[in-house]
Amino acid sequence: MTTTIVLQQAINGVVLGSLYVLVALGLTLIYGVLVQINFAHADFVTLGAFAAYFFMHLVGAGYIISIGVAFLVGAVLGWLINAAIFTPLRRKGNELLPLIATIGVSVMMQNLMLAWFGPIPYAFETPYSSQVIRFAGIYVSWQNVIIIAVSSVTIALLYAFMKFTFLGKALRAVSQDRETAGLMGINPNQLIMLTFVIASALAGMAGAMLAPVLVLTPFAGTSVIVKAFAIVIIGGFGNVEGTILAGLIVGLIESYTTQYLDPGLIDIVVFALLLVMLAIKPTGLISERREENV
Amino acid sequence: MSALLSAERLELTYGQVSVCRDVSLSIEKGEIVALIGANGAGKSTTLRAIAGLLPPRRGSIVFCGRDVTAMPSHERSILGIALVPEGRHVFPFLTVRENLELGGFKSRNDSAKIRRKIGEIFNMFPRLSERTTQNAGTLSGGEQQMLVLGRAMMSEPQLLCLDEPSLGLAPMVVQDIFRTIRAINAAGTSVLLVEQNARYALETASRGYVLQTGSVIASGSCADLKQNPRVQEAYLGRIATAAVS
Repeated sequence: MTTTIVLQQAINGVVLGSLYVLVALGLTLIYGVLVQINFAHADFVTLGAFAAYFFMHLVGAGYIISIGVAFLVGAVLGWLINAAIFTPLRRKGNELLPLIATIGVSVMMQNLMLAWFGPIPYAFETPYSSQVIRFAGIYVSWQNVIIIAVSSVTIALLYAFMKFTFLGKALRAVSQDRETAGLMGINPNQLIMLTFVIASALAGMAGAMLAPVLVLTPFAGTSVIVKAFAIVIIGGFGNVEGTILAGLIVGLIESYTTQYLDPGLIDIVVFALLLVMLAIKPTGLISERREENV
Repeated sequence: MSALLSAERLELTYGQVSVCRDVSLSIEKGEIVALIGANGAGKSTTLRAIAGLLPPRRGSIVFCGRDVTAMPSHERSILGIALVPEGRHVFPFLTVRENLELGGFKSRNDSAKIRRKIGEIFNMFPRLSERTTQNAGTLSGGEQQMLVLGRAMMSEPQLLCLDEPSLGLAPMVVQDIFRTIRAINAAGTSVLLVEQNARYALETASRGYVLQTGSVIASGSCADLKQNPRVQEAYLGRIATAAVS
């Protein structure tokens, strides 16, 4: 009996964790390239959820296509907001202005969504939530199969992009030493733009997959982003592998806390872990080793 | 004769702090030009301006007949100006091979050419070929200097600007690096060399400029500069009277 419960919660944890990873990867990429925290990231999650909702209900499209639409909406809006707001501010050479602007963008997006969609929670239902596969005493909904498949393919593609393509290597170069990357002929502004587009697209996509388990209001993203910040810190700011690992760990902690302790304790356990990490290993789970040579 | 690069009356400042008041210099095709001077004289700052990392407050920079004064560094790199910055600046968490690949960023769509160029760099520095998959941050100082030199050469620059290539390296390694710089120059790349070790610089270069507190105080062929009492006194460690007598 107990092993099935442990396995069942492991699957639930991985499902949740992989969604957290998608959200947290965007934060960590933006931090890596810009050394800037994007406080508007949560609202791209919310926006992705609404984009998928309305695409399903107004256009009548299927859920899987709607996830793709949420990805595209996130990408386009990420591009737009970076081009219209963050790039001009960054050009002034002040690091603080774009950071504060992300808070402004967040408030603006939340209130625009509030004006359009209202404060009453939407019920986001997918046909796949009620279809369940039974396997060795464990129940897995098709919804969860889709989430695991889509997010692991996305994470694998992103990882391959960063590791093996010229542009991905250039992105890592910019995040390690922006000025020197410029000397290689790499235009840092183009890569900052690319980072925003990727991060916002991942957030939008995660929103579409989180929506069924969220209370879908214009503020839905904030409940996820707090955990995403914790994941980014636990994984080591700016570190992709660490973020993936930390996201899965937090997902598992959440599902086991729900099972064995109390759902109300989730945030307490996650943030206790965060504090322990900060105390014993502030550089994160996987800290990049730098050997100084003079 | 039009120079490969000419900088006219550069005034360079960091915020309100003026570093260079009036620096003019030119480099002909095929030359090695040395820029010497004491700490804080403005040598590195001048190189940064030439590479496009510091927009000058006044003055102009012309490269291959084009005014590049307002051009950002990544466009200058594509035009053919490469800078090896002071303190090397490898990408520490990228492998040796990845560092070299990025040096060839402008040829990124021609993987055969990138591979060929990397082969050439490995011929130049066999030590690097033993460390292709190692993170650049784990290399020794000398290996890192080889790597950044190789990385700069990946873009096939017309002008290679080197900022203190000997800094912090063992004398044996320094000799290796300078031998390579001469070989790179012999193969057709012009070099602008900033070096605190004036003796090495004047022996490697054909012409030189002496910078003091942000202005050029002497210039000419290295043979002449070596005889210049002020240069001898300040940078070569000989007493001026010995040279005069």
